Amino acid sequence: MGTVKLSNICKSFTPGVPVLNNLNLEIKSGELFFLLGPSGCGKSTLLRILSGLTAPDSGSICFDGVEVKDLPPEKRQAAMVFQNYALWPLMTVYENVAFGLKIRKLPANEIKKRVMEALEMVHLADCAKRRTPQLSGGQQQRVALARALAVNPPLLLLDEPLSNLDARLRDAMREEISAICSQRGFTALYVTHDRQEALSMADRMAVMKDGVIRQLGTPRELYEHPADRFTAEFLGDINFIPGEVKDGVFSTGFGKFPVAGDFSGNHTAAIRPERIGFVPANASGDGIFEAELVSGSYMGDCCNWMCRVGDFCLNVREFAPEDRKIGDKVKLCFVPGRLMILE
Amino acid sequence: MKSNRIIQYLVMTALTLFLGVFLLLPVFTVIQVGCDWGLIVEAFRSQVYLEGLLNSLKIAVVTTILVALISLPLALIYDRFDFPGKEFCSLAMLVPMILPPFVGALGFQQLLGHYGVFNSILAALGFERMDFLGGSGTFWSVCFIEALHLYPIFYLNSVTALGNIDPALNESAANMGASRWRRFVSITLPMMRPGLLAGGSIVLVWSFTELGTPLMFGYTRVAPVQIFNGLNELETNPLPYTLVLIMLAVSAGLYLVSRLALGGNSSAVSAKGTIGGSAVRLRSWKRFLPLVPFVVVSLLAVLPHLALIGVAFGKSYYNTILPHGFTLQHFDNALSNALVLPSIGNSLRYSSLAMLIAVAIGVVVALASVRWKLRGSVVLDLLAMLPLAVPGVVIAFGFLGMTVKFAWAGALFDPVENPLWLLSIAYAVRRIPYVVRSVGSGLEQTPEELELAARNMGAGSWQTLRRITVPMVAANLLVGGLFAFSFSMLEVSDSLILAQKSEFFPITKALFELSQILGSGPSSASAFGVWAMCFLAMTLITAGILMGKRIGSIFKF
Repeated sequence: MGTVKLSNICKSFTPGVPVLNNLNLEIKSGELFFLLGPSGCGKSTLLRILSGLTAPDSGSICFDGVEVKDLPPEKRQAAMVFQNYALWPLMTVYENVAFGLKIRKLPANEIKKRVMEALEMVHLADCAKRRTPQLSGGQQQRVALARALAVNPPLLLLDEPLSNLDARLRDAMREEISAICSQRGFTALYVTHDRQEALSMADRMAVMKDGVIRQLGTPRELYEHPADRFTAEFLGDINFIPGEVKDGVFSTGFGKFPVAGDFSGNHTAAIRPERIGFVPANASGDGIFEAELVSGSYMGDCCNWMCRVGDFCLNVREFAPEDRKIGDKVKLCFVPGRLMILE
Repeated sequence: MKSNRIIQYLVMTALTLFLGVFLLLPVFTVIQVGCDWGLIVEAFRSQVYLEGLLNSLKIAVVTTILVALISLPLALIYDRFDFPGKEFCSLAMLVPMILPPFVGALGFQQLLGHYGVFNSILAALGFERMDFLGGSGTFWSVCFIEALHLYPIFYLNSVTALGNIDPALNESAANMGASRWRRFVSITLPMMRPGLLAGGSIVLVWSFTELGTPLMFGYTRVAPVQIFNGLNELETNPLPYTLVLIMLAVSAGLYLVSRLALGGNSSAVSAKGTIGGSAVRLRSWKRFLPLVPFVVVSLLAVLPHLALIGVAFGKSYYNTILPHGFTLQHFDNALSNALVLPSIGNSLRYSSLAMLIAVAIGVVVALASVRWKLRGSVVLDLLAMLPLAVPGVVIAFGFLGMTVKFAWAGALFDPVENPLWLLSIAYAVRRIPYVVRSVGSGLEQTPEELELAARNMGAGSWQTLRRITVPMVAANLLVGGLFAFSFSMLEVSDSLILAQKSEFFPITKALFELSQILGSGPSSASAFGVWAMCFLAMTLITAGILMGKRIGSIFKF
């Protein structure tokens, strides 16, 4: 498998307050697809609807073109990694991973082989005999992943699986999950509110808000060309600059800048902080403007500066930061082609 | 702070001593007096006593199975569905606890006797009358009545156990492809096991040692009744002590096996559900379906007591489906019996004193184990919960033995001349677990920060206890007290064994004596029983209003 196609999915828990509002989504075979959104946007509900744990009020769910809406969860073949792991505390790690295989009535030696394979994949072969409550959070998370992988699911569902891990383990697990999914060719749907996770791992992703998909595409498309203010902000820091567009030129208090697209009238332009550059103090020309450093937060590999331009403040990210002082006068320019007009 | 600790330790030691003297000492007395190898061998060689013991065991096992069959499905339905009247159901499930089974036995005989209600229905329909109560019928009647009395304990423990299972554990099993049945067997049931065993072990011990119900049915071939009947010749024949000892050993064995041996690794199951409530709400008329089994079971449980009301108010209730005419004559008869009025006063006195003792001790035990967290408070907690595993007959015989053995006990607890302290303390000791549970659950729901905040504002520890802690758990305290009081009013074993002179009889013993009078006896006893039940119903309603849904926490062990 397998493609997943959701059409016109609606769901509300309290009448009149839709959690999912006429949602449509198509996931291609072998794709690692991300659903990104703030908490309460309906992304977990969507996952539960796919796994059959929650029934939609209306709409259709097709796996490989077959309608599965009326199948109970145990017949869906969509293995899920639960946010709180949901490991069975009375079983050992081995028994947890073997459970799904036993249900599928595989021969004993095949079960053993696949359980150990799955545990090795998540580097937990040594812990097979331990009980799950004795494991650390990161280990439990990996058992949950192994349990889902062992049944070799046509569709893998991941519900914020890394949210309880510390930063280093999270980074390691991101790479691991990406690698496993591409090696085994799983179709996977991954739900998260962590933009770094989505941007770094996704083949394609969708940004959700209030039960609606706001934009869908590759990480680069969404980051570089956000369709609206919400998506733009949700995927990373960004500057919004009010101004006027006329004949392909955006005019604001501190200068005139060429922009693409067929716009005119009052608009908000947006540019990411890392697309604004420092230029030498003696430089001059089109698109170069003067600013004063108001504050800076040093991050090691970069520094986030707050720069005042007239009565406007711009966020500027400088990689390999120079040793600048608050109050310094600096000259800035927008990287050509990076200033975008939001509709 | 340091002096507080010292006071806490002193209080704890005093309590441990109290329980040692009034709980452990009786048990040891029974062991000492009863532990005579000659007598033990005699008891096991005797066909009659061996049969009595085996019958008691059979009653215990059958009753526990019946209880599980009644309450497990109800608990599963309660956990799985949302339905109209759900709150009412959880209160209705408690009702059997206040319907004294040995009074219910009277009503049951009215229902199933040869000229009782069912046979009247059969006769009216043209069928042969059936002998429900003959042969093994008595055995089954005893089991049935006890099961209908005890299922709330098992039910409440099951509901709690189910509520503590994280719904995601079942969801992930479904996600792995496990069918509903498979999920129940491999996830739900193992997770529930500690709760089931906790409830089951109490039901097992309780029904093994139950005296009142078989006594009322005239089922003499069970150990508790044999012990009771041996009471009259106790001075010449110490065999009842040996039988009590054997019962104690078997009870303790049953309790230990079911709780410790089978209940292993219960500590692994403390994970509280993160996603609350996965209850399903059915649509249209189907939403009333889950209500049906609750109504059926509750009706079954109150049926014997309804029959009892019929007997109490009926002019004649013989060979008819419903009583013939209504009268208050039986109430008059009951009141005119010399035993009855004094017994009400006696019971009120014994039970009030018992309540005070149980509350005073229960509160401190709860405080010590929930709040103070002193070293050794585990011992106190275990001691306070011990009465659940120690049969009433054991404690009663222990006190009896103590009055003979120790001069001080004989002076304080004269069963013949003044049984006030004897009965009150015997009642109190066995009601302490309920007070501890009730107050303990209140304390656990009250954040300790509230007390710490009071300390931070400059209140001393005594002031904090009086101004903050006690008011916060007042409802639990009152409910624990009410239950201690009403269970004391209904107590059978201690009352029958320890009250020896008719002027000191408590209600239950008077009721028993009344029921033994030929002719009008059963109807007067029924009238008296109805009066007692109304009294208890009032307590439960008061408790329900005070504590609402949380009332069930008292019976969760």
